[in-house]
Amino acid sequence: MEKTNSLRFDTPSFYKRIKGMLSVDFYRLFHTPLFYIFLAIAAIIPAMIIGTTGMEGSQTGALFTNVWQAIAVEKPLYVIENIGQYANMNMVFIFGGIMVSIFIGHDYKSGYVKQLFTTHSKKEDYMMSKTLVCSFAMACMCITYLIGTVLAGALVGLSFSVNAGSLICALLGKLIMSLGWASLYVFLNIIFRKYFWISIASSFFFGTGILIIGAAAILGNSGVLNIFLYGSSVFACLSSNFLSVIICFVVSIAWSVIYNILGTYILNKSDVY
Amino acid sequence: MNAIEIRDLKKSFRGMYALNGLNMNVPVGSIYGFIGENGSGKSTTEKLICGHLVKDSGTIKLFGKDYTDAGIRIKVGALIENAGCFPGSSIYTNLKMQCLNLGIKNSDEEISRVLKIVRMEEHKELKFKKCSLGMKQRVGVAMALLGNPALLILDEPINGLDTDGMRIMREILIDITKDKNTTVLISSHILGELEKIATHYGIIRQGKMIQEISAKEMESRARIFVSFKVKDAKKTMSLLKKKYKNVKKEEDFVRVYDEEDVEGIVKYLIDNDIVPSEINKNKVGLEEYYIELMSNKEGK
Repeated sequence: MEKTNSLRFDTPSFYKRIKGMLSVDFYRLFHTPLFYIFLAIAAIIPAMIIGTTGMEGSQTGALFTNVWQAIAVEKPLYVIENIGQYANMNMVFIFGGIMVSIFIGHDYKSGYVKQLFTTHSKKEDYMMSKTLVCSFAMACMCITYLIGTVLAGALVGLSFSVNAGSLICALLGKLIMSLGWASLYVFLNIIFRKYFWISIASSFFFGTGILIIGAAAILGNSGVLNIFLYGSSVFACLSSNFLSVIICFVVSIAWSVIYNILGTYILNKSDVY
Repeated sequence: MNAIEIRDLKKSFRGMYALNGLNMNVPVGSIYGFIGENGSGKSTTEKLICGHLVKDSGTIKLFGKDYTDAGIRIKVGALIENAGCFPGSSIYTNLKMQCLNLGIKNSDEEISRVLKIVRMEEHKELKFKKCSLGMKQRVGVAMALLGNPALLILDEPINGLDTDGMRIMREILIDITKDKNTTVLISSHILGELEKIATHYGIIRQGKMIQEISAKEMESRARIFVSFKVKDAKKTMSLLKKKYKNVKKEEDFVRVYDEEDVEGIVKYLIDNDIVPSEINKNKVGLEEYYIELMSNKEGK
């Protein structure tokens, strides 16, 4: 009966494992409508805000006088004085949370995650791959948000004057923050993997940055808040410089490492349903 | 070397032991029928082997190595509970994703190969959610077969299938194991079907293995019986009980166990004015063996 000599077991390297997992996740991302729907949402939302508030006779009055205000606040203000200081590219990180919840929720709902873990995929590969793919998706959403904003701003006739260097730093900062946010959402979805709607609600709750806004109400516009994802995301503003990009980079990487380690630990210690 | 070797495996859920010191040996190249009543721990064992659950204690070795070894795991395929496919995607897309995960280079060839094995070549563009239960089970087997696994774990793959579906699944399993390079661990309640394919059996009860036996050994140990179809079963029973120790009524038949002298029994019946309309000499099947074993363990 035994013919073990014909069975060969070659241990796949980390590179092969992560490549396999990333390939699956990117394939899924590009071959299902979810990603494209959220790209469209990211483009439509700013266009709608600028369009409706900027139109003549708008009851709310124009939220923005300059198109780039819809991308980032002019100064790092954690204490919000008006909705215009809140309605900027950081909103992508709220929709992004919902997208991550759906993306990971489908893994569990369909049972595909069991197929992954039955084979050579390790829990850390799963965390890493999901974080990278979801951060890529969120970064793409930031880009479509930018396109939507620029087109709507041009149509409404908002001013485009800006310090180009600061704008680029702000955009870079926000793109980099996608990684940190994605890792937070992946982590939340790992914790609440059995409860899809709680995953979505928790992602939305953290994405709004309400905890940091609350803390800012007590602490004021303290730089300490930059160590948090929402803080750094606000810090990537229209008065940014290269230091802001560095801070966003460090904060984003640090949180994604923390969330990946915690997520891997939880996955390793708990059953997959 | 065994394909699966489990020692003193324990797993509890909220303080209740689902597995309580399970030992298991699945020989390489075997089709191992894993039998037990509902809640006996079959699925828990399979999920632990697949790494879906975290064990409390004990060891699981696959082909002599720890079950978490990535080199071994890449050669494990499973169908547990469901196929693990995205319902909105086509069969092809689902299989393609698993090919990417496994790092299979000629994915289209591999997909064609497994779809041919499960007789689904013509349905590859069909969305998974449009598949019938039988088709979904076959797609699940196809998923598990990608990359030529050395170990295939199938949890109740024939449950809910119609007669034709069961036949197809049986043929698939026989095809897979033809070269003896794939070991199959299969759990099922449909013992009649399992009996047709399994080479080994493991019988589990309350989280413990109560017997592991090869199909050959079971056959050699199986009790012989002679069954008679008669008009008056009651009268025949009482008559036969006077002369033979083990007499039982099974549906329309009266069985005399552990007796090989068919002629003698028939003569005895005829001498007493009982003419059987049908006579069979046989061995007890898996189902009876299992029921008997369970009854003995319960002290009945």
